[in-house]
This record gives sequence, structure tokens and C-alpha cells, in this order.
Amino acid sequence: MKKIASATDPLWYKDAIIYELHVRAFSDLNGDGIGDFPGLLTKLDYLQDLGVTCIWLLPFFPSPLRDDGYDISNYVDVNPSYGTLNDFKAFLGAAHQHNMQVMIELVVNHTSDQHPWFKAARLAPPGSPQRDMYVWSDNDQRYKDARIIFTDTEKSNWTWDDTAKAYYWHRFFSYQPDLNYDNPLVIEEVLKAMRFWLDMEVDGLRMDAIPYLCERDGTSCENLPETHAVVRRLRAAIDSDYANRLILAEANQWPADVRPYFGDGDECHMAFHFPLMPRIYMALRQEDRLPITDIMAQTPPIPDLCQWGLFLRNHDELTLEMVTEDERDYMYFAYSADPRMRVNVGIRRRLAPLVDNNRRRIELLNSLLLSFPGTPILYYGDEIGMGDNIYLGDRNGVRTPMQWSSDRNAGFSKCDPARLYLPVVMDPIYGYPVVNVEAQLSDQSSLLHWMRNMIALRKLFQVFGRGTLTFLNPSNRKILAYLRELDQGDGFRQTVLCVANLSRFAQPVTLDLANYADHEPVEMLGYVRFPTITRDPYVLTLAPYSFLWLELQAASVVEEMPAA
Amino acid sequence: MATANPITDNTQAAENAAADVLVLVTPMAPEHFKGVLANLGSAFSSGSFVVATQNELPADIPSSVRIVATPQSSAAWALKPIDFVNAAQYGRVHGAKAFLILGPEADSLSPLALRSLADAVLSASIDLAVPHYSLPSHAGLVNSAILYPLTRAAFASRVRFPLSIDLCMSPRMAERLAGVASAVSPASQADALLWPVNEAVAAGFVTDEVDVGSRAMPQPSDPDVNSILALITGSLFADIEAKAALWQRPRRPPLVRRPMVEVDLSDGTADVARMVAAFKLANANLQEIWSLVLPPNSLLALRRCSTLDPVAFSMPDGLWARIVYDFLVAYRLRTINRGHLLGALIPLYLAWVAGHINVMASGIPAERHIEAVAAAFEVDKPYLVARWRWPDRFNS
Repeated sequence: MKKIASATDPLWYKDAIIYELHVRAFSDLNGDGIGDFPGLLTKLDYLQDLGVTCIWLLPFFPSPLRDDGYDISNYVDVNPSYGTLNDFKAFLGAAHQHNMQVMIELVVNHTSDQHPWFKAARLAPPGSPQRDMYVWSDNDQRYKDARIIFTDTEKSNWTWDDTAKAYYWHRFFSYQPDLNYDNPLVIEEVLKAMRFWLDMEVDGLRMDAIPYLCERDGTSCENLPETHAVVRRLRAAIDSDYANRLILAEANQWPADVRPYFGDGDECHMAFHFPLMPRIYMALRQEDRLPITDIMAQTPPIPDLCQWGLFLRNHDELTLEMVTEDERDYMYFAYSADPRMRVNVGIRRRLAPLVDNNRRRIELLNSLLLSFPGTPILYYGDEIGMGDNIYLGDRNGVRTPMQWSSDRNAGFSKCDPARLYLPVVMDPIYGYPVVNVEAQLSDQSSLLHWMRNMIALRKLFQVFGRGTLTFLNPSNRKILAYLRELDQGDGFRQTVLCVANLSRFAQPVTLDLANYADHEPVEMLGYVRFPTITRDPYVLTLAPYSFLWLELQAASVVEEMPAA
Repeated sequence: MATANPITDNTQAAENAAADVLVLVTPMAPEHFKGVLANLGSAFSSGSFVVATQNELPADIPSSVRIVATPQSSAAWALKPIDFVNAAQYGRVHGAKAFLILGPEADSLSPLALRSLADAVLSASIDLAVPHYSLPSHAGLVNSAILYPLTRAAFASRVRFPLSIDLCMSPRMAERLAGVASAVSPASQADALLWPVNEAVAAGFVTDEVDVGSRAMPQPSDPDVNSILALITGSLFADIEAKAALWQRPRRPPLVRRPMVEVDLSDGTADVARMVAAFKLANANLQEIWSLVLPPNSLLALRRCSTLDPVAFSMPDGLWARIVYDFLVAYRLRTINRGHLLGALIPLYLAWVAGHINVMASGIPAERHIEAVAAAFEVDKPYLVARWRWPDRFNS
């Protein structure tokens, strides 16, 4: 009998609202300046009230923390700074009781160089199974076609190890040696780690850096058939023993290269749509829908049981890997005038600072996030418009403590402020005295209330998570208009017309809605009836950065409904 | 409290016998139970029905009646989750095609009424047959003021008594309600109410009303209107909250309209002056709570109402609809403690009752006024949807 976790619907992830957070950044209960699981547990009511249905936890495993926990030294325990395994279990149980699923990281492309496997590998004789847990070479000339990902810090994908007297392969930082998936022992150990957490009833696994699992000479070492074979093996293991779980692929690739990670429904359930995200920002800045419609046109269909993961920002830099050189330069000019805002091939800023803290732009982008086909993933703090600190190293500027109140340390911790794992944001615009949950909860007009209402509205309509997408192409390119449709199988069809003004000025638009003649659009936020659609072009006027969600109601139902 | 008799030969024969109709009779006084059995014997042919009950068997059971014993549960004035679980379970065992549940004092339902309920399911392919009672004009006012208009507007159902004490179900309806009932936690079983009409709409099942004439309505052991109103209204609010995605779909109301049933008005007097006085006192003392829930226009309208004499007192239908809608939204938002919220609704309900009684006293039939109230709820449904989706209190 397959083990179920907390979700009863096998397709729960299609309707989910995912919230990405780092345990260490959310809430510190024991006063050591580092967030912990007991602290996170106290915030579950807040998350449930916001409308979150799935929590994605960044890595919380034992780690030297040279890459914020993505350098793992033990896959089956909890970093003592964040609590104990029992603390995690208590949090997991409480999250489930709050009707929230929990997704954790499965960082299995690489480990920390402090992992016992690597320590043993360095000492093991060449060719032994222990040695071959990692990828070794006598020279640094193999896999020459593989690009360097962390261009700011790494000059090569190979690093010499004096103990092993050999080079080891790493696609990321040099202290993160890549595991060797040509070694069956590696897959065995990965499966053990996976089962450890799945047996505990964790609902989902985010597979970090999945394109890089396998290497072959003469290739880019990304997205190889061998890598997909590994993913299928892991998925098969999950499917055979567990029900209603999720694998989310982190594959920062072009849409056509991400598509294989869904397989025929036998690889990952979800994958991030990385290329869409920078293009949303491009479209906004250029006041032109083309970057969005263009990348969506390049997005292949995916199996019915699969889903895209959509996001505006996350814990990493706003990646510009999947854009052209010109587009990258444009984005740097548009969104990171200060070179300190850039890291690797991206921009390390949060959502609000990226759009100059303009409330209308923030709402517009979130309206796209919540209405585009896929599952929205919110980054912690963006629901209150948190700012960042570009003077912190690496990507730490977007990983500062959650701002709960105007109290000491933003209500994140009662410790001596000097002890915080990172300083709280305290500038005059985004500082915690101004931007915090407590203030926004008592302000009905706050961004937090707006987000809560929008999330609740999205959850009322399955069409957003499960429906089709059809772009309308009005002549005014500053307008992004699209239809979302879903046959619910009970005779009821949901049709929603979304219209967004990407411009800072009011815009007119005429839409060809002849196929929906005699339907009555009803604005979904205020339930306001708009003029009935005819065969003539449908004219709308939109305020700067505004958007409309219009439910198209069939006339045969509408004529019986009471007038507004 | 009825106790189960040892199972007789009659009941042993009934244990696994097939039957078209499974009748679940809830706990009631022996004399009422005897009357129910007699009416069932008259309504249905021998062998076509089985009675599942925990009531003590009378000495002289009609020979046509087959009875099986159900587990013990406490008597109640409304149907409980366990009733639906038992109905489905025993109906399944006996291969029933119709599941008839009869609440306390069901002996006041005639054999014809019982037969009509069963036939609606057996012959007309109805999934949920709900009785349409002919009640005195002062009876069932919580239903008239809140339950009926709210379920009608939300679920496009014209069932006049959505929380009826009797009903008849198809097998699939019985299974669905048993499933819902099983999900109720043990701690909540005593106070939990199910809403069969809402569940039928959610499942896309067919519902219809059946005229059953008059019926004696069981009274709760503690007839405190405050606690009853809070229990029933809170339960309905919670059910509406759970089904938000369903009732916000555009939905065409059923075309069938029941004829208004004129009922004798002379069922005793109601103290309108006392109710109006309670409302006026609350208007003075509960402004702080009401202002958290109601918009300025409603508060102003209530202030105007508070200046009226008891004889001339009335509450506009549209105002009452908005009050109920705003309390429903506040319930969902947990604007204040839910118990306090529902307590704050009571004086407003009393005000509606006072106004309703005055309307009847003016010669307007009660049902006509209730239909007008229900229509006001329907007309203003967009207000509810808008407030639900955008609960900004900066509204008129």
C-alpha cells in the first residue's frame, strides 16, 4: 500500500499556492539570531491566513553553510542551528494540520566537500566505489564544453585536490563536488535519503540543479539522456511506494530543454519556467507584451498531469542565463544600474526594489503570476514588499530576516541585533519600521491584504491552475490579453479573460471576442457586470499598470440571474 | 431515552431482508414512535420497507413492519451526522432504493406524506426529496429569515426548508451525506448539522420538494433562541464558507415555483414590543461590534429603524439581506470572535421578526413577505460575492 502524506488529491500541486522560505530567515524562537523550526511553527497561522497551501523549505540539512545550506554534509538530519529532527517533525505535523503541504530540497547534484562521502572519496584508492562517488580526473581537460555557472567566483569546473592527487568535478562552487551518477552506489544513497524524508510524510521534493547530474565528453554536460534516466529511476521509486507526492525540477534551461524533465509523465511533476520570469520584467520595462508572448509561444505542451512552476523572484539572483546577450544587457541597464546589484549572471534584488517600490507595478506582476498557467510560487517577504540589501555578499541581500513588526530585529528575534545571522533591512523606504507584517495586517489597504484577497480569489477558480491559455493579440502591444478556460467535467465551463496594461499610461484596447458573443463579462474582484460581448470588437480602457480579470458568463445562465 | 429491546424474531428476519425503502427513525417518545410505525404500515406495502431505529419496540408491532436495531445515540431536535451514517449503512445492507429519514414527532406526518417522499425518489428519480411543511406563520422563523433566503441565493435552491427534520434520499445521495457525516470529528458530533440541500447542489444531484402538510416540530430541550440561532446560523455560515467556489458560480435557479400556502395566523401572540425593545437596546450598546461588521449605510438604516414605534416597526428586506451577508463575510474573516459575532446578530434577527409580524398583522400573507425577503437576497447576491472576494471595509 502506497504511503500517502497529507494531500488527498493526486493533482494537489496544480491548485497549490507555494511559499518559498528559508528556516533561518523566518522566525527565531530560541533567541540565537538564527531562524528555527519552532519559530517557523509559530508562523503557520500567518501563512494559512495568507492562503499558502504548500511551504517550500530551502535546505536545512547539516552544512558548513558556505552556500547557504546548498552544500550538504548530511542528507538525513537537521542543521542544529535550525533545531532537531523532532522539531522538524513537529513543524511538518503542524503544517499538515493547517492544510499545508511541505516541500523540501533534494540537492543531489553535489554535496559539501565536508560530507563524509567526499572525505572518504579523497582517501579511497582510484577506481574504488568510494572514490567513484564523485567525478575525478587526472587533468582538467575533460568536459571542456561545459559552461561555468558561477562566473563571479569560479574559473573552472575542475579543482585540484591535494589529498586525492586528482581533479574533481564541480558545476557550482569548488567546495561542492559533483556526485557521480555513473556509480550505482550514488543512486542507492540518494534513494535512501529520499525515502528518509518521504517516509516522514514530506509531500514534495525540489530537485536542485537537476540538468547537471551526468557528464559526457563532447557535450555541454547538461540535459543528457543519462540524466533523464536517473530522474526516471528516482520517480519510479517514488511512484512505487508513495502516493500524492511531488518532484519539482530546478532546470534553468530553455523551455524546449525543460520539457524533457516532465518525460511522458514519468519524470518530474513540475518544473520552474525560468525563461518566462525575466521576460515579465522586460515586458514591463519595455511596455511591450512581446517578450512574454514570444517565450510562451516557444513553450511546448506538457503532459496533462504536469505543471509549470511560476515565480517572480526567489532566493537566487534574478537569473539572466536564459536570455540573449542583448536582452541581458538591457536587463542590466533597466534593473541594475549599480554594478553591486549584479552577481553571476543575474540581478540580486527583490521584487519591490526591482520595480522601484511602485505598488501598481507590484500588483500587476502578481496578477500575472496568479493568472498565468502554472502554480505560483511566492518568495517570503514579497507579500509585504520587503526590500533588499545589495551590500551583503553573494545572494544574501535577498535573504534577510523576515520583517514581522517594527520591534527590535523586526520581530524576527529577541537576540542582540549584532547576533543576527544577517542584518535586518533598515533603510528609510524598505526598513522594518515601515515594511512589516504587523503594520500591514492592520492596514486594510496594504499590499498584504491585497495579496491575501487575490490569492483567495485565485483559489476559487480552478481554471487558473488547470485551464488552457490562449493569447489575444490586440494591435496595442502594451496590452497583454489572454483567455483561461477549463471544462470542469460537470457541465460547467470556466472562462476567464485577463487583460493587463503593461504601460505607465492609460491604454485603450479593442479585443476580438466574437467567439464569445452574448457572453457577459463579470469583473471578478468586485463582481461588476460589463457590457455584453457582441460580434463587434470589444473596447476596454485600462488605467496605468492596471489589470482586469473578467469571468465570461454564458447568456443562458446570466438571463436568469438577478441584476446587480 | 429509548433503549433497545432484545431483537425479536420479527427483527431477526429483517436483518438482511431486501427492501425498496429504508426508513431511519430517530429517537422519539414511544407514543410518537408507535404512530410512525402505524403510518408506515399504511403508507407502504408489506415487505417493501425496513425500519432502522434505536427506539424501544412497542408490544404490538404491526406484522408488516420489519425492524432492525441501530446503535444508541442521544435524542435531538435536528438530524445528526450519525443519522445519515446509519441510514446509508442500513440502506446498503438491505439494497434500498430510497432512504427515508424521519425526525422526532414524525407521527404527525400522514401516510400519504411518507409515501410521497419515498415516491419522489423511487419513481421520479429525485436524489433528495425535501418536505414542504405547512407551518403556523410564527413557526420556523429562523428558517424564514436566514436559512431559506440564504441557501436560495447562494445555491439557487428554492427548497423552503433546507434544514428539514425529515427527508428522503437516493442511494448516491445517502452515500454522499454519509461521507460528509463521517468526516465530522467525534468532538463535534453533538452539535454538528448537515446541509443536505447544499450537498445535493454541490454534487449536481436533483432536489425536489414534496408537500407533506402540517407537522409537529420538535422543540430543543433548551429553547434558548440565542444558542439555537447561533448554532444553526453558524453551521450554515461555515458550510457556505466551505463551498465558496461553488456558490460563486453563476447558477440558474430552478424554474419550479411552489404555490404559496396560506396558513392560519392564529397560533398565539408574539411580543413585538419586547423584540423591538431588545433591538433598540442593542442598537445603543452594540454599535462598536456592529460597526466592525456593517457598512455606514446599514448602520444608518438601523438607526432609523430604532426610532420607530413597535406598532410601526419594520426592517426593509434589502437591509436585512445586507445585514446577513455582512455577518456571513465577517464570520469568514473572523473579524471578531465567532461566538460574539453570532450573538450580535440576535437583536437584528429579533428586529426582523418584529417587522415580519407587523407585516402579517397588516394583512400581507407571511409567505408573500418571506418570498419578498428571499428575492431581496437573490437580487443582492452580487454584493455578497463582491464583499467576499474583496473584503475591504471602505465600502458604502
